[in-house]
Amino acid sequence: MKNIFILFWAVMIFSSIAWYAFLLFYVGFKGGREIGRMTRKLKQQSSPGPKGTSGP
Amino acid sequence: MTLTYLDWVIIVIYLTGCMVAGIWMRRFVRGMEDFAVAGREMDVNLGIASLAATELGLVTIMYTAQLGFEKGFAGATIGVIMALAMYVVGRTGFVIQPLRAAGVLTIPELFEKRFGIKVRWLAGLFVVLGGVLNMGIFLRLGGEFLVYATGLPIGYLEWVMTALLGLVLVYTALGGMLSVLVTDYLQFLVMGLGIVVTSVLVMANLGWTGIVDGLSQSWAAPQNGAAATGLKMSAHPFNPLHSSSFGWGYILWQLVFQTAVVTTWQTTISRVLSSKDEHTAKRIYRRTAFYLVGRFGLPGLWGAAAFVYFAKQGALPEGLDSLTAMPAYLSTILPMGLIGIVVAAMLAAEMSTDSGYLLTWATVIANDLVEPCVKKPLSPAGKLLLTRTLVLGIGVFLLFYGLWYQLPGNAWDYLAVTGNIYLASVFTLLVGGLYWPRANAYGAYAALILGAIGPLTFLVVNAVVSKSHQIAPEVAGASSFGLAFLGMFLGSWLTSDSDKVAASSVAL
Repeated sequence: MKNIFILFWAVMIFSSIAWYAFLLFYVGFKGGREIGRMTRKLKQQSSPGPKGTSGP
Repeated sequence: MTLTYLDWVIIVIYLTGCMVAGIWMRRFVRGMEDFAVAGREMDVNLGIASLAATELGLVTIMYTAQLGFEKGFAGATIGVIMALAMYVVGRTGFVIQPLRAAGVLTIPELFEKRFGIKVRWLAGLFVVLGGVLNMGIFLRLGGEFLVYATGLPIGYLEWVMTALLGLVLVYTALGGMLSVLVTDYLQFLVMGLGIVVTSVLVMANLGWTGIVDGLSQSWAAPQNGAAATGLKMSAHPFNPLHSSSFGWGYILWQLVFQTAVVTTWQTTISRVLSSKDEHTAKRIYRRTAFYLVGRFGLPGLWGAAAFVYFAKQGALPEGLDSLTAMPAYLSTILPMGLIGIVVAAMLAAEMSTDSGYLLTWATVIANDLVEPCVKKPLSPAGKLLLTRTLVLGIGVFLLFYGLWYQLPGNAWDYLAVTGNIYLASVFTLLVGGLYWPRANAYGAYAALILGAIGPLTFLVVNAVVSKSHQIAPEVAGASSFGLAFLGMFLGSWLTSDSDKVAASSVAL
């Protein structure tokens, strides 16, 4: 019984390390693109018209 | 351990990057919707980064490592349950789907549509009291990690954490949720790197087999070896169902409690409300769920390794306890050059949590406590100014309440009870309001009052009776939920429907 629990925690711990490492690259790449999209959209929304000067 | 020049360069680059990114986002804030929920433009991956970064603070790392030190790997069971709860909620959309569809800024705002403005105000008070008091302990515990991990003189703790809070306040007050999202993203990356590096170093230091064997020996032969010198594992280190560990009662209770946390805790729900739509919110939950296993499991691994390390040494050095053993252990294994990354990671964990919490509670105070009380509605600019001022105000309050002023007595008990008051009552109102057509304002009041009376009674009882007769946490917690649901049921069932306020206005 004890070995089943040890096996369970081994799977959880090693999977967590692998998952954190994977997300570091996956979310790092995709999240960066989403920030770019979000700021572009916010910039468009804050511009009153073609001559709008607000935003960066 | 002394920080080298390289370590300091890494830390300064990280802090500068966060400040620049946070302040840069200020230019996109046009009104309250941008400030509180990022214009509801948050997509899946940014949501994962923000949710994970906010809910994994330095305080989390400290207490989950303490669970690992005291209960071995079984201490991470709560993380598994929380992950399960978040995945099921993300799959079914339970609570979060109608909540996002309602288009509100906060949970109490939903209650006005369903139960009336007074219930909104009272629920807002519960949310703020539970949340702000809960946050009161963050700074000190976070500071203790930095002190013990880096060898910083203890006298610097308050000054370092004050400076850190000051940086967080600047970008949170200026850019609101937009700044929080972008800095959370940076902090997610730095924090993730630090956690992975530290976990690999811990494994390399003691080895998986070494940690497992160390825990097994300490548990199986308490009369010999490490135990003889005063350091022993008193709970089963692998089996959470064992009577010496959590046991069945506590595990079952956690299933309810963690479901309430992922559907009710306002800082988590802020990410639901900031997402583009309900579908995005559900995907964020599903994909973040397994991260919560590591939220408990990886610091738990460090705590368990610290136990094995100090057990081999004979005992804990003087001045250390189960809370500070982990950072003290890490200070012995982190090589120069890497300590900078780990310290930056832990600063990231602290900053992301602080910023998210400061913004959330300030938004609730402005939106649900102040605005319903003013006769003339606040202008968008006025509401924005008020919320920014409240962010600063809460920061100052936390500085004195949680850092410079030491809480008397057992702070953990106090915070657990206040947190329970909030979760039990607000969870009941959410479930009743969204899924039970007969729920009304009387039921909501009864749920709020009974949900509060229960935990306070247990607090008083436990303070006056001897330790052997005290009420177990799972009994106290389950009772507060039971009382809140009973209040909602009886209050709504026994009264007429005449006081229902726009019950149909919420999309169910």
